[in-house]
Amino acid sequence: MARWSAEPGGADARMGEHRLAVGARRVPPSLIEIGIPVVVISALVLVLPTFLPAFVSSQITKAMIYGLFGMSLNIIWGYAGIPSFGHAAFFGAGAYASAILILKVGISNFWLNLLLAIVATAVIAAILGVPAFRVFGVGAGNANPIYFLLATIAFGELMSRLAIAVRPVTGGSTGLSGIPEPDLGLGFRVTSFRFYYLVFVTTIICLFIMYRIVNSHYGYALRGIHDNERRMQALGYNTWLYKYTSWIIAAVFGGIAGVLFAYYGKTLVPNTFAMITSDIAFLLVIMGSTTTFFGPLLASVVYVGVEYAASLYLRDRWPLIFGAMFVITIMLLPEGIGVWILKLWKKVIRGAVT
Amino acid sequence: MRFGGLTAVKDVSFGLEPGERVALIGPNGAGKTTLFNVLTGQLKPSSGNVFFKGHDITRHKVFARTQLGMARSFQITSLFTNQTVRVNALIALQGTQKGRYDTFRRLLGDRGMQAAAQVLLESAGLWELREEVVNSLAYGQQRKLEIALSLASDPELLLLDEPSCGLTTVESAEITSRIRDLGTKITVLMIAHDMDLVFGVAERVMLLHYGEIACEGTCDEIRANPIVRDIYLGTRKSLGATGGAGRA
Repeated sequence: MARWSAEPGGADARMGEHRLAVGARRVPPSLIEIGIPVVVISALVLVLPTFLPAFVSSQITKAMIYGLFGMSLNIIWGYAGIPSFGHAAFFGAGAYASAILILKVGISNFWLNLLLAIVATAVIAAILGVPAFRVFGVGAGNANPIYFLLATIAFGELMSRLAIAVRPVTGGSTGLSGIPEPDLGLGFRVTSFRFYYLVFVTTIICLFIMYRIVNSHYGYALRGIHDNERRMQALGYNTWLYKYTSWIIAAVFGGIAGVLFAYYGKTLVPNTFAMITSDIAFLLVIMGSTTTFFGPLLASVVYVGVEYAASLYLRDRWPLIFGAMFVITIMLLPEGIGVWILKLWKKVIRGAVT
Repeated sequence: MRFGGLTAVKDVSFGLEPGERVALIGPNGAGKTTLFNVLTGQLKPSSGNVFFKGHDITRHKVFARTQLGMARSFQITSLFTNQTVRVNALIALQGTQKGRYDTFRRLLGDRGMQAAAQVLLESAGLWELREEVVNSLAYGQQRKLEIALSLASDPELLLLDEPSCGLTTVESAEITSRIRDLGTKITVLMIAHDMDLVFGVAERVMLLHYGEIACEGTCDEIRANPIVRDIYLGTRKSLGATGGAGRA
């Protein structure tokens, strides 16, 4: 059935459809449009550390971690239409959970550590989600997320205050330091070179799962809620449950990014929970665009690049540069880098075909 | 149903027989939409009960009522405006299916759902427009989709809130025949101001006035009823015009 090969391309179907008569009839164009760049970029990222200096690989590691963080926020923001200013609560929860498990509890195995950190993040998200969605409001167009945004800001600050207050466990305002290399239980040391690949594999797995989630039956229900929640209820959807579970799902992926960040930075401070970290995810989603799946990851590369350059040349002006990134994005690329690149790429591929 | 000191709907008690088509008419502010919102669960009644298929559903949430077999359309078109017509149909169709919580299988790859969407959209005459984004549809097409989405859950009771609101006479006639074609499998309760639609579709008409049912009866009884003329239909002259068109 030729009809099915004309599927709109997954996450990017929301941008409207551009069907192409590329290649064999059975190959969906989305596979060529999305699949090729994904494979090429993955392969590139895979071989990069072998011929790039270590500090560049380290920046790419960071970009992947932040990218994962931004994309986790995009699940609730871009797809379900729930903007959160406190996503760092979960990033920090994952990071602190894994650091506490290593340093205070003594669980050194990376996988067990990751699993427990995920559980901890999910529990925190489940608890915070209950009051959060009481103030979210329901309805098409008349949902006012301002109270929700304020509540989520409070969650992040609450968590960072908690991290300062519970000194014996969290190290207070000096935070936790001396997080060792991850122990994969495979009998070799995880140098920063190998850590790069650990982050790469974890990110790829997370992206795959997230991609499946947002394009699943459940994912389309989230898009429906974004567009018109009242109609979704009339159609039989328990929209509260969808919002609540998507909040937890986004928190878990944010938490995984946090775990990787703990191992990456080796030091954690209470600011990991705070607004300053939430802003990163917020910027990545705005810069990357809420309507594409890979947007925040692309934005993350730009962000980390700018951050690195700023740390070299304009160390004291970071807040200014950070704000400028918001402003420049909104002025020049209001739809975000993701949409811009996708349009460009589609133009290129259409040019190549005709 | 009270809003502060205002009693919007009062002492309204009625039943619907399976397969019946009933129209709810009344002047603006009579409480028609409030009554609808109580029936669908958007509002909780200050007192009184709502029964559906033998269940007391007064405390049921909106989505739970839909799961029991109730569906509604909206007066103000309420669609997923950033999605294509096909995705609208798919989202609507899976609302009452187990698969709606599936977080791994792709919705757009589900052939069963695609086939069901095709049936739904073909019956609404929208299949050719399936890849159009809803934003870009004409208003009449959006109204058709509005009704199609309400029918997606295969309801036993369909509540239509002014289905022909804002449509041209031709489009309105299409909607009329569409509702009539639903047959006796679906019970229909609709709010309408369009008398062609009311007389063309309804078997029974209820007139709501200041939150109370002023009178009810068959179309002919309603047409002949002096109270209805007084409250709602207006002078004999204009009644003759609309009534005539309704029969045609």
